[in-house]
Amino acid sequence: MLQHDVVVVGAGLAGQRAALAAAKAGRDVALVSKLHPLRSHSGAAQGGINAAIGKEDSVETHIYDTVKGSDYLGDQDAIEFFCQQAGPTVIEMEHFGTIFSRGEDGSLARRAFGGAGFPRTIYAADRTGLALLQGIYEHLATETIRMYDEWFLLSIIVRDGRAQGITLFDRKTSKIEGIAAKAVIIATGPFGRMYGRTTNAHSCTGDGVAVAYRAGANLKDMEFVQFHPTALLESSILITEGARGEGGILKNAQGERFMTRYAPHVLDLASRDVVSRAIVTEVKEGRGFPGGYVHLELMHLGKEKIESRLQEICDFSRTYAGIDPVTQPIPVSPAQHYMMGGIGTNMMGETNIPGLYAAGEAACVSLHGANRLGGNSLLETLVFGKQAGLAAAEYATKAGDAMLQPGDLDREAARFQALWNRKDGESPWAIRAELQQTMDKLVGIFRAPEELFDALRAVRRLQERYRNVRVQDQSTTYNIDLSDALEVGNLVDLAEVIVVGAIARTESRGAHTRVDFPTRDDQNWMKHTIARRTPGGPELSYAPVAFTRFEPKERVY
Amino acid sequence: MAAAEEKLTKFTEESLVTVPFDVYRYDPAKGGEPRYQRYELRLAPHTPVLTGLLRIRDEIDPTLTLRYSCRSAICGSCAMLVNSKSRLACRTPVGPEVQAHGRIVIDPMRNQPILRDLVVDQQPFWTRYEQMEPHLILDPSKPMPADTPTRMSPAQVERFRDTPRCIACGACYSACPAVEADPGFPGPMALAKLYRFVVDPRDSATQGRLKKIQTSGLWLCLRCHLCTEACPKDVRPSERIRDLKELAVQAQGGTELGSRHAIGFLNNIEERGTLNELKLVRQTAGVGGVLGALPQGLRIWRKKPEITKAPPPIEGIDQVKKIYQALEDKKEGQE
Repeated sequence: MLQHDVVVVGAGLAGQRAALAAAKAGRDVALVSKLHPLRSHSGAAQGGINAAIGKEDSVETHIYDTVKGSDYLGDQDAIEFFCQQAGPTVIEMEHFGTIFSRGEDGSLARRAFGGAGFPRTIYAADRTGLALLQGIYEHLATETIRMYDEWFLLSIIVRDGRAQGITLFDRKTSKIEGIAAKAVIIATGPFGRMYGRTTNAHSCTGDGVAVAYRAGANLKDMEFVQFHPTALLESSILITEGARGEGGILKNAQGERFMTRYAPHVLDLASRDVVSRAIVTEVKEGRGFPGGYVHLELMHLGKEKIESRLQEICDFSRTYAGIDPVTQPIPVSPAQHYMMGGIGTNMMGETNIPGLYAAGEAACVSLHGANRLGGNSLLETLVFGKQAGLAAAEYATKAGDAMLQPGDLDREAARFQALWNRKDGESPWAIRAELQQTMDKLVGIFRAPEELFDALRAVRRLQERYRNVRVQDQSTTYNIDLSDALEVGNLVDLAEVIVVGAIARTESRGAHTRVDFPTRDDQNWMKHTIARRTPGGPELSYAPVAFTRFEPKERVY
Repeated sequence: MAAAEEKLTKFTEESLVTVPFDVYRYDPAKGGEPRYQRYELRLAPHTPVLTGLLRIRDEIDPTLTLRYSCRSAICGSCAMLVNSKSRLACRTPVGPEVQAHGRIVIDPMRNQPILRDLVVDQQPFWTRYEQMEPHLILDPSKPMPADTPTRMSPAQVERFRDTPRCIACGACYSACPAVEADPGFPGPMALAKLYRFVVDPRDSATQGRLKKIQTSGLWLCLRCHLCTEACPKDVRPSERIRDLKELAVQAQGGTELGSRHAIGFLNNIEERGTLNELKLVRQTAGVGGVLGALPQGLRIWRKKPEITKAPPPIEGIDQVKKIYQALEDKKEGQE
């Protein structure tokens, strides 16, 4: 059995920042990822990271924009802290070695982003996530951290009222191991792969969130699913909001700049939920292109600007859609992009289980409330990754030794054997394919009650079928049939929580739009959804939203 | 608008083609010989190879294994050989491959031990990257400015060229014959990464980095540019290696066989417009080197006795000298 003070699961930006903080605090830290850390999905973030460092800008405005963007469901105490940390966090990443784009005067370049009062999104061309991921990974080498690359999380062990470690397996050998740890930090990112149309990587399957949920962690605000307005047609590859920040505009099939109807003041740079609903409405009302999409035009920005600031976007459009954004509009439509919900935490990354922490997209603090602003997620990974790392390190100095039991590993070994031994079960991909169709069709941008109930029935049938899932590949070396099976099980369980939360919330707020309850209902629904696992499915309760200075107002862009 | 629509209509209506995949299969744990397995799919020509491989896994053969994640050429997981070229499977469309080769042969990357099927052990690649000390090394007497970002002009950012685009996929490492020939060669990615730190104005170890790399592999690059050809992100590692060599010579002069050879070559051409081979050997390897090369030299001399004589300057040597002067002026202008 392996032993560390703190084990961090997930090695994207949040996980690496957490590991760095805990290691700097002097703890013995393990960093586990099912991928090599540089392959983490954080690297796919394009547009930038928000920090109000411009002279004309202020932390106050960043706070207000985030609160408003959240449709008043974000906790204002957390948002205040978050926005105050923005400047120091970005500067720290710059000092760690991150290569940001620069203005003529040598300062950090900034661009406009959706729902923001000022151009406050600091960027590295259109690969800001990659720049930050390289920056922190390369800095991490200056600390002693035990890396478990390509190890896959199986369970979190909670005993005597606290987290005591995890079980996991080495993907190269399929060997099951245990890591006893006084503190466990989950930073495994999103679970967008329950949708077919998603900008998320294949690896975004919510492993840590699902495993924490099974271990008794509360999940928060899971029904809030962000759809990014501009994903490339067919492949759903992300086209950054930065494209509109640089001046790109959306047009329907009639050549109209349709955002004038939906957000007369800020047009294409309205909040993501607003723009996504606008696109879907245009298409529904017959003003989209055949196949259901609209155009994102960049041509007027000129070749030089497009090719320097939106270099990756150019490459993606040319490679995956066969179009050149310098001379042609990009065909786009909304796709699942971000999970506002996740493991419920406070500002220190603490969950309802002592010794269990969460950070990044896997967590829900909640900052983003019902809708996240572009440029706030990269910042969240770093600010709250560090918070969780510090809190876990401190907890680990006080907590007694953590212990796993042989039974913890035996249980997982038996699960593997059952998966391998089934002779006539279902393949993981069949279940995943149906889950994705269900979520795409029934749990999208506009949500109808009958569709949500259909979705719940479908998801529960899939959970039932999942009991009979089978792994045909019998190899113990890098068996992705096996990891697929585990991932699909995680996705199905999280999908259930999303649907149950969406059925219960009879209002429209941020990204959650109920066709039968089209307005926000502050009287009854100004509260966080908390989901706890029971044998009969998720049990919902509600928690208050923290207010400090901004009273809810109608949201107009 | 019309053009984009035309293209997309073409995509949606694009007739499917039969794509024969011959995929490398090998499980060392099970023993036996590696083999190629044939799978056939009907795919639209613009479909990425990765999509094809995932369909094979889902619909035909769940025992096929490979690495993949983002499917948009940013995570660097799915580098492999597509018809013998090191490529990212997610950004290589099937159509042109089938057109050129009639089929798509898929192999694991080269220069790394095979774990199973298309999955290789990338540890050697990561180790070489880490050996470059890829993090800022600061002079303790010159700390970072407190509470403010370092100033860096757009021109300084420009000096990184496209190295920040590197996604560490390893395609260059797989394509590199110097990696194959010499375990001491760090490989294109590691050297491009080193370049990124050498030109970083925040880093204070430039001289040390250059000095170290001169004796640990810099001059082993064969200048074949296969890395640049393989790189899916246009990082152009071979050009950055060339830059590193220039920087190393500028900073430290001809301290190595490789750098002395480069300098000797340069001087030879400037003087006569052609090589004076004997002189070049002397310049590169010194008198001792000439003595060491004597047996080989004698063999050449028997066939080609003029080797001992300095060749006359070529016709138009004035033009050559003018080119050198122009380059010199340009360099001064830049500085």
